[in-house]
Amino acid sequence: MDVMIHSSSFLLPCDETCGTRYALVVLNQNLPRFTPLLWEHAKLRLCADGGANRIYDELPLFFPHEDPFVIRNRYKPDVIKGDMDSIRRDVLDFYVYWGTKVIDESHDQDTTDLDKCISYIRHSTLNQESSRLQILATGALGGRFDHEAGNLNVLYRYPDTRIVLLSDDCLIQLLPKTHRHEIHIHSSLQGPHCGLIPIGTPSANTTTSGLKWDLSNTEMRFGGLISTSNLVKEEIITVESDSDLLWTISIKKTGLPVQDHKP
Amino acid sequence: MSAMDVMIHSSSFLLPCDETSTGTRYALVVLNQSLPRFTPLLWEHAKLRLCADGGANRIYDELPLFFPNEDALAIRNRSNFRKLYKPDVIKGDMDSIRRDVLDFYINLGTKVIDESHDQDTTDLDKCILYIRHSTLNQETSGLQILATGALGGRFDHEAGNLNVLYRYPDTRIVLLSDDCLIQLLPKTHRHEIHIQSSLEGPHCGLIPIGTPSAKTTTSGLQWDLSNTEMRFGGLISTSNLVKEEKITVESDSDLLWTISIKKTGLSIQDHTP
Repeated sequence: MDVMIHSSSFLLPCDETCGTRYALVVLNQNLPRFTPLLWEHAKLRLCADGGANRIYDELPLFFPHEDPFVIRNRYKPDVIKGDMDSIRRDVLDFYVYWGTKVIDESHDQDTTDLDKCISYIRHSTLNQESSRLQILATGALGGRFDHEAGNLNVLYRYPDTRIVLLSDDCLIQLLPKTHRHEIHIHSSLQGPHCGLIPIGTPSANTTTSGLKWDLSNTEMRFGGLISTSNLVKEEIITVESDSDLLWTISIKKTGLPVQDHKP
Repeated sequence: MSAMDVMIHSSSFLLPCDETSTGTRYALVVLNQSLPRFTPLLWEHAKLRLCADGGANRIYDELPLFFPNEDALAIRNRSNFRKLYKPDVIKGDMDSIRRDVLDFYINLGTKVIDESHDQDTTDLDKCILYIRHSTLNQETSGLQILATGALGGRFDHEAGNLNVLYRYPDTRIVLLSDDCLIQLLPKTHRHEIHIQSSLEGPHCGLIPIGTPSAKTTTSGLQWDLSNTEMRFGGLISTSNLVKEEKITVESDSDLLWTISIKKTGLSIQDHTP
């Protein structure tokens, strides 16, 4: 099996990353405190509907000594997409005026806002040009559970696209069963709490290395054992499974200085 | 026509205490996330109240905030107020509860059960076990366990808490947040869900966590399912809407039912003790 390598380089300062191109999708929950860092990494920035309210209202709060108007101009999304039932009129007008592309998908009730944004990014020139595209999404977790489940399902529906869901507390990625996985841990920024979750289908055997409680051809299923409250012990974690798993790891409260990321 | 037993679901715990339908007894478990705004109502309904470790910090810190008129009084009176919301039990591995909070409740007589030796089960799991073995469960046929703070925060915690629903399919457990509730619909039963439409909905979903469903059939939803397959990677029912006051669900797989909780309609001020 091919190896898939995972590394949370998007949590590192911009000058230290290599190779990977990022796109950012902002959904409608409170912005994580490291959103300015993600914004800086991203070559393409989308707001899904009410995510635009979050950028408008909350980004200035990360820069309390600066004029909100200046911040809003600096952090202008490339695209606002979705069914437009949450975005405020004043926010929409502001970004339209300043050149943001707005794509109204209110006719399409079959897919979530995140799904629509992932589709857009997959068809964009950024994806055509980049062999290593990774999509970072904030605001996909918390709030209504059916929304959260729909967003987790987007990871399963696009297993060949690298998508990372991010909150203040943790990140979530899909580990497709088609690959062996090597996860490189930035231990000053993430961990030690982690888990492997067989959300969609049970796993008959999963094997890991580098965790406090490693699995060894272990069965995992809802109703039985799933790996939660585990701990990373090594700097490289390996995972191999017969089932698509969700990998999750905590994000440290310290170690990500927001103030250093003025562009 | 299915020969399965029917399981009836109703969010009576969102109704004022004197209006509750007879028979159901409630236990409350408070986990370590911000308290939902209707926590005082749940507290009143419950005959047994547990805090899982840092959930005690939340009761201590946040319950007084629901009663701002009381809060304007001196700290000594706030302390008197906290005595009215004293948990019966604090259980868990004790790595989050603050020392001052623990001492306060020990002095008031709260039973503290330190489970720090047991790292194999989540704090919610430990509390469910306690309740299942309690006299409340022995005496009561209609016991329902309400849990706050099980969602949000670290995703592995949340997944572990969802797994508790699957591990105790014969125990009625409802996970509650400000935004929604989640319950297990075991495949062994046909389900009738009675909707309190002034308090919950219309947004809802049916989620096949853990195993795909080959066939699920519903009635009463905007987008009903009819022997429909559901799986992660394909279709799952999210952003659905309740259309009727009674929803029915029948499935070959254990499903999670979730419905939104309305922001208005649950008045806190009526629930001063």
